[in-house]
Amino acid sequence: MRIAALAAVAAMGLSGCAPEGMIIHRMPAETPAADNAAAIQRAAALAAAAEAAQRAQEGTEASGEAPTPPLTPADAPPPKTYDPWEPVNRFSYRFNARFDENIFLPVSNVYRRVPYPLRSCVNNFFANLAEVDTVINYTLQGRLGRGVRALGRFVINSTAGVGGLFDFATKLRLENQPTGFGTTLSKWGMHPGPYLVIPILGPSTLREAVGLFGDYGTSYGINLANLYRGNLSWALGPLNAVDQRSNIGFRYYSTGSPFEYETIRFLYVRKLLLEDEGLHKRSPRKPRPPDLPAGQ
Amino acid sequence: MRLSALFFASAGLAVMAPAAFANDTVLADDPADHVIASQEVSGPATGLADSAALRATVYGTPPQDIAPMPAKVPLLEINMHMPWARPVPDVFWFDRDLRVWFSSQDKPAPLAIVISGTGGDGNTAVLSTLRGALYGAGYHVLTMPSPTFPGFIVSASTTGVAGDLVQDGHDLYSAMQRVVASLPGKVRITDIDILGYSLGGANAGVVKSIDSSEHKLNIHRVVMIEPPVSLFASVERLDRLFALSIGSGDAGVERLYQKIYAQLANLYRASDRVRVDENFLLTAAAAVLNSDAEFSAAIALTFRIDLMNMFFAGDLYAGTGVVVDPAHPPKVGDSLERTQQILRGKPFSEYFTKVFAPYYLKRRPFSTPESLIAENRLDIIADALRNDPDYYVQTNSDDLILDKTELAWLVTTLGPKIAVYDHGGHLGNIGDRRQVADMLDMLAGRWRGAAPGIAP
Repeated sequence: MRIAALAAVAAMGLSGCAPEGMIIHRMPAETPAADNAAAIQRAAALAAAAEAAQRAQEGTEASGEAPTPPLTPADAPPPKTYDPWEPVNRFSYRFNARFDENIFLPVSNVYRRVPYPLRSCVNNFFANLAEVDTVINYTLQGRLGRGVRALGRFVINSTAGVGGLFDFATKLRLENQPTGFGTTLSKWGMHPGPYLVIPILGPSTLREAVGLFGDYGTSYGINLANLYRGNLSWALGPLNAVDQRSNIGFRYYSTGSPFEYETIRFLYVRKLLLEDEGLHKRSPRKPRPPDLPAGQ
Repeated sequence: MRLSALFFASAGLAVMAPAAFANDTVLADDPADHVIASQEVSGPATGLADSAALRATVYGTPPQDIAPMPAKVPLLEINMHMPWARPVPDVFWFDRDLRVWFSSQDKPAPLAIVISGTGGDGNTAVLSTLRGALYGAGYHVLTMPSPTFPGFIVSASTTGVAGDLVQDGHDLYSAMQRVVASLPGKVRITDIDILGYSLGGANAGVVKSIDSSEHKLNIHRVVMIEPPVSLFASVERLDRLFALSIGSGDAGVERLYQKIYAQLANLYRASDRVRVDENFLLTAAAAVLNSDAEFSAAIALTFRIDLMNMFFAGDLYAGTGVVVDPAHPPKVGDSLERTQQILRGKPFSEYFTKVFAPYYLKRRPFSTPESLIAENRLDIIADALRNDPDYYVQTNSDDLILDKTELAWLVTTLGPKIAVYDHGGHLGNIGDRRQVADMLDMLAGRWRGAAPGIAP
């Protein structure tokens, strides 16, 4: 069964090939009418959110309740990123690009032909499973309010949402706010560490990779509904991965740029650092030697 | 699964480059503000100071103004090897094949070929909008990358040094013939029209004029959407915008980065979010993108990022040695961080003087830098623009890449075959009802001149 499934996946990946030095991929059809209707709604929501964000920032600044003074440009980490394993990382990045192009993306494009309601159920199901890990990590981070909230989501979605297939909690204005062991390590004071490109999974850092390992270990240990050690456990990871991939509009080298590795590394680590800023907003900033590359 | 984190970071590429990156140059105390403001007073021919134009250029067409679109547009991605392609340099291993996108009707229909703008691949957001409009009107649609896109330079250029209208036109024309000839068998094409936006508009005009003498595709009509008149003058305007809003050299980019980082961090800390995701970045961009200087920086930086790729490729192929040592070209695993950093600070004028001009002067006897500049003006197809009824232009009176003289030249040259809209900046009205209706009328030969209420 396992081999049959792998063969099917490989066949899906190769099915786009055509003769004459020409490769044709059938992409999921575009839906401009619906996209535009969604864009109109989103624009309104964004405008409201932007206004709220502005107010929130002004509010914290004006009320003097800002726990630490706002960042100034001088607080920005240096543009250089800590990447001591660069040659290996570049190799993995290239491998990932090829893997994505030849297997991951074609498979996820086929998956996208599954009707949306069904895919949404798959997505909700995995999000609900991850909720357990989220509860544990919010607790480890000492953010009990958020932990209780996530627990509430898990209970609601597991019952009213039929085992997590429907995200009922979001309709009750309890949005998904996932966290993981990587964030917990950050809360405990660990820096992102060396940049690391994980085969297949992509950009990460040492801290985030350890976090990933911890998250999987937690789920495996709890083994909810015997999903992680049961008969179908081998299919769980790939399905989750394909589902995630199908929701992400990223394409390796679609910019055609020779600087993509540098650009992604820069943006990814800045994203982590920004999240760290939020996590440590109540503690005073420690001075850092200015020549220390970002992430170290 | 932290996969989504990675991809959101990467989505930042798209989000941060045009929007968030820009949201900061800032600053009341920054001389850039004053310079741009004072330009406004002097009434710039460049239109750089028009706030509405800057905003339209950054945000694009508001979704509520978009023309009616079809519910579903099928899409094929076609990767093709071009037999004349030059050897692929190590660092460009991923750009081996030319990649185009094709949407076919299931009945006989005219084919619309659409060319992307500067540095754009064959599936940009603007192309997707045009594809929807054209497909909805019954066309097969083939979208192609710009000849300045690295993927095109590597897979389909005969020179590797992009930016020459005639050379790029010939390369595009050859690539088009191969693609059209190998479209899936059941596609029945009744007629071929060509379009392009921005630089792609100029490319489309040149391709049509090449076809008028070679007749290999028998292209019927061309609609040039917001094209430049003089390539190098337009580009220099964008360079000036960069110098004004960001500052010259890499130091300006670094300053910009620091300000954006601090501003994003403060917004994030004030928010209730647990992740820096796409929604946060979009919200943040909308919350902090305020002054003309910030919008200008967004536009200038987006353009500079495209230029860096083209500069790098040109220098590598031409062997001009500005950032790439011709004796030791970078290998596939080599770090390009330093090169990227140097290129960030380099304006287009340097590409012209150090890569483009040396390369073409050597290959075109009797040419001078001045003649190269002159050859990259739409004047080279002025006769066709003036006399051939199948050439059409759509542009905006506040388009950033045109000055008043150039706009006037377009209007007099095209006569009744041009539509000039009051507002839209550069590409800020593509896909809106008016633009789409006029474009379809032009393509079908129904266009009867500007409707009342539109600038002449």
